[in-house]
Amino acid sequence: MSTKKSKLTTSLIVRTIAAWGIALMLFFPLIFMGITAFKTELQAIAVPSLWAFEPTLENFHVVNERSDYMQFAWNSVVTSVVSTVLGLLIAAPAAYSMAFSPTKGTNGLLLWMLSTKFMPAVGALLPIYIIFQQFGLLDTKTALVIIFTMMNLPIMVWMLYTYFKDIPHEILEAARMDGASVWQEFRHVLLPLGIGGLASTGLLCLVLAWNEAFWALNLGAAEAGTLATMMVSYSSPEGLFWAKLSAASLMAIAPIVVIGWFSQKQLVQGLTFGAVK
Amino acid sequence: MSYLELKNVDKYYGDVHAIKGVNLTINKGEFIVFVGPSGCGKSTLLRMIAGLEEINDGDLVLDGNEITHQAPSKRDLAMVFQSYALYPHMTVEENMSFALRIKGEDQSVIDQKVAKAAETLNLTPYLKRTPKELSGGQRQRVAIGRAIVRSPKVFLFDEPLSNLDAALRGQTRVEIAELHRDLNATSIYVTHDQVEAMTLADRVVVLQGGVIEQVGTPMELYEAPANKFVAQFIGQPQMNLLSASYFSGISPEAVDVGIRPEHFTIVEAGQGAISGQVELVEALGNETLIHVCLEGAGEKLIVRQYEQPTVKVRDTVSINYDVSHLHQFDVKGEAIR
Repeated sequence: MSTKKSKLTTSLIVRTIAAWGIALMLFFPLIFMGITAFKTELQAIAVPSLWAFEPTLENFHVVNERSDYMQFAWNSVVTSVVSTVLGLLIAAPAAYSMAFSPTKGTNGLLLWMLSTKFMPAVGALLPIYIIFQQFGLLDTKTALVIIFTMMNLPIMVWMLYTYFKDIPHEILEAARMDGASVWQEFRHVLLPLGIGGLASTGLLCLVLAWNEAFWALNLGAAEAGTLATMMVSYSSPEGLFWAKLSAASLMAIAPIVVIGWFSQKQLVQGLTFGAVK
Repeated sequence: MSYLELKNVDKYYGDVHAIKGVNLTINKGEFIVFVGPSGCGKSTLLRMIAGLEEINDGDLVLDGNEITHQAPSKRDLAMVFQSYALYPHMTVEENMSFALRIKGEDQSVIDQKVAKAAETLNLTPYLKRTPKELSGGQRQRVAIGRAIVRSPKVFLFDEPLSNLDAALRGQTRVEIAELHRDLNATSIYVTHDQVEAMTLADRVVVLQGGVIEQVGTPMELYEAPANKFVAQFIGQPQMNLLSASYFSGISPEAVDVGIRPEHFTIVEAGQGAISGQVELVEALGNETLIHVCLEGAGEKLIVRQYEQPTVKVRDTVSINYDVSHLHQFDVKGEAIR
């Protein structure tokens, strides 16, 4: 009995160490970035890395002076929030009709939508760039909102579809029998029952839009640049400034990390739906 | 006077013809039960009346108005679902008042109607609870309450008791019967349970393969089934069906003869019309079912006795039947009258 118990404890210890090890390994780049942001440029490139140093906020001042942080942050907020809201407005009715009035083509349609995510974004860059150029949308927030919405729509429809499918069809039919119009059915029954799904879908897409760099760089580098583009500007033209790059990155990810932290539960629920039910 | 009328109603699912030209007239205040085996189309027909399934062909008329293609929300019908389909995020009170709130009724009227329905259904102590805090029977009563507060033109019940255990099912069945007696509302009730059909219905509609086999009062169906299917579907244990050769003095067109288990009697050896060997004796207390394998072709029948068993397994018995209770069926299975 006691051997069994000690075996169990040993395996638990091993597993705990392994789990912590993996977690630290995954988290290490972030810690390193966080620490580097408070070093001077000289300290940042020192080999071996310095772990004991006097922290400085200089990098943050420089980043804020050289690139207008607030402008980039505002662009990030506008593009990610508007694209998420717009996406939900389009995806919710689409998912509703696919979940509750499926046809023979529904499955194929869902798979086709998802398959658009398999294509590398760069494959669509040229046509999209030219279209946006023709419409005078290059380097505008509108362009980024449109592209972020399109980019996230397949995921949004899929996630909401899965959520809505879990809601018993008969509850909506009961509402219909009770005299509810389509809007009342949505407002009084589907929305309260699906709010968890809508929230986690919205949150995930907000994060994805916030972190998006490819389209942001190619379609909106200057006026409409988001925080992702601000970060990148510290990596190329004047060589690598590790400390400033780290400070810029930290400032770029800070808002979304804070939001993510507070909504962890929703996010995890959103990402593991279906798998744990 | 006809209140709800189905005229040549059809339903297709792709190539499958699920409901085949059904005609039915329902009178005001009647309790109609749709009964039939799984997949016979009884639930589909109910959902077509509700508007939850499209009617592909034919007409549906309610109280003089054609409602064939009207949205379910506009038909003023209430439905009680098999799964109850309560709104899980609302309390019992909110569930029951939902339809009235949607309609924009005065709060005082809503309160009054909900209180009355809750009292009728013994739900008053549970008004503030959510469905997950209720037992199956209570949930079913909330579903019924949600229907009655609306005073709809017709109540539709889709196998409402099939999720309840046997004891509760019997009790709720009685409650539904009493409710119908009190409200005198037109009701259509779908079930595969013939006990529910026989005890609740003013008239029973027997369906098979999307076609109505017979419409009639429970006793009409029991005593004068229109065909072999109805004869065997109604009654438990089912009607014995034997080849006509066992019987004399019957119609020359008769191919099969049906006789209910209680219309057979076991008589002294050599004195009966048919004889066979006892295969099984089921003593149920109030009655005894004796399974007999007939001599010759080996056809089987069941005899019902309202007394203690008088025979044992492997006894050879002689059986008589009541000539006035023979049901003769022709080659197509239709009753010969």
